[in-house]
Amino acid sequence: MTGRFLLGLFLATSSLTWANDNAAKAVDSSVSFHGFGTLGLTRTDNDNAEFVRDLSQPTGAGKSWTAKIDSLLGIQANIDFSQNTEAVVQVVSRFHADGSRDPELTWAFLRHDFTPDFSLRAGRLGTEFYMLGDSRLVGYSNLALRPPPDFYGSLVFSYIDGLDVSTTLPVANGLLRGKLFAGLSPEETPFGPGTRWDQKGSLLVGGYLDFLSGAWQVRLSHAQVRFNHEAPIDAYLRQLGDPLGGTPYLWLVPEMAMLDRWARFSSLGLVYDQGPLNIQFMLNQIKQDSPAYADSKAGYIQAAYRFGSVTPYLGISRSLTSHEALPSSIPPDFVVDNVITPSLVAQSFLDQQTYTLGGRWDIHKNMALKAQVDWIRGTPTSVFLVKNPKPAWDGDMTVFSLALDFVF
Amino acid sequence: MRPFFTLPLLLLALLSYAAPAIAEPVIVVNARSSVTQLSQDEVVNIFLGRYRRFPGGGAATPIDQPEGTPLRAEFYRKLVNKDLDQINAYWSRLIFSGKTSPPRSAENTAEVLRLLSANPGGIAYIERNLLDSRFRIVMELR
Repeated sequence: MTGRFLLGLFLATSSLTWANDNAAKAVDSSVSFHGFGTLGLTRTDNDNAEFVRDLSQPTGAGKSWTAKIDSLLGIQANIDFSQNTEAVVQVVSRFHADGSRDPELTWAFLRHDFTPDFSLRAGRLGTEFYMLGDSRLVGYSNLALRPPPDFYGSLVFSYIDGLDVSTTLPVANGLLRGKLFAGLSPEETPFGPGTRWDQKGSLLVGGYLDFLSGAWQVRLSHAQVRFNHEAPIDAYLRQLGDPLGGTPYLWLVPEMAMLDRWARFSSLGLVYDQGPLNIQFMLNQIKQDSPAYADSKAGYIQAAYRFGSVTPYLGISRSLTSHEALPSSIPPDFVVDNVITPSLVAQSFLDQQTYTLGGRWDIHKNMALKAQVDWIRGTPTSVFLVKNPKPAWDGDMTVFSLALDFVF
Repeated sequence: MRPFFTLPLLLLALLSYAAPAIAEPVIVVNARSSVTQLSQDEVVNIFLGRYRRFPGGGAATPIDQPEGTPLRAEFYRKLVNKDLDQINAYWSRLIFSGKTSPPRSAENTAEVLRLLSANPGGIAYIERNLLDSRFRIVMELR
């Protein structure tokens, strides 16, 4: 509701300001428009599961080429009220949770720089759980075709309605930068086929510490989410033939609740960026208070070297979940404890690595063409980051992708 | 006989004309500023928007040469060994995540000098032959 209202407000003000801008360009440059986008094509070598960019996509790519995985368009307006105060509004159209490409208001905030190194932003803000996490839709700003799904794929929170503060301090030949954020999610997440998990009102808090020195950047970050709604397990079970005959699942296994439970995301990021050479190394750990989702660890390393306008890159990523004892139903029920609960938790299992080879070609100013192949090698139980796995799914998949990224 | 003289002269003229294209940018501040010297890291921090303060604490306002000028390409190549595509990709990340803005891009070289002389916290890179008493060199790129 707030999103619709803000979007309407944006469209109304943008058409006005656009007209104003053209009329007053010579005297007033306080409003500027920018955009970014990707035209992408993706296919895989098998139909036993569908490949998605991240878990915000309800369905994915199979053996025929599809544009829905990476194609998107974003438009942004920056409005300068003074040298230190700015408003930013961004709308993105991409294939997302409800299966549509309806535009989403991804950013809408007011920023004030109290000093050149202390800023406050309030409004709708992109989340930055991991390094580079708040620009993962801007293909042109990234070397690889898409952020490694092993690492970023389970991140379904793109933005919050809240605030953040950031500050920078010079220390020992480098810069120490910190940010804290807090807010409520306005989003929803695909849960099972045709069912979505409402995340509205989920509390997100977090922050990071960066150290930058020369070509190096190191980041430690932590973020956590408190879920504000139960996952739609009953709706999901009804689709599977209603094995509980209408009895709410959480009556039987209350321990599997998500409401008011936390998920905690910790990560370490390291970037070495020296002239033509760029190396990224990141590790993360996700801990779930609820046993409904398995805890996980992931990491990736990516190296790229620029030769003229062409930048080949390669990467390896890995994701793995740990398996804990499952909660029992009260009173004990054989089918619930041995079939239903294990199969619900098993949906979040991961044990896979991905080998990536690709190239970026800067064909024109503000335009890059990319081609990438990902070889996913996993166990048959590794299903969290794919959609609709069939019994024949063996964990292996090769993904072919092409993309044209641009900014304007 | 004449063409034999004019051809080398013409070549010489062309060479000397081409020379400014590989000019060495010098980094200058407004002469009213108290800043006398900056390290390469400090210049990187200011121009890439990581930390826009001078060592004494004053706010630093970087000014870019116009887009598409050889001096701009040369400056970033010498400063961080990156070409302008890489610099554009860097700024697109920051612009679309609502962070720092890139340096103000001047319309032409004369505007660089005008903006710098009007702003005590300004910092720019210019060709050495444009140096005058309004500006002070704080770093040279080799």
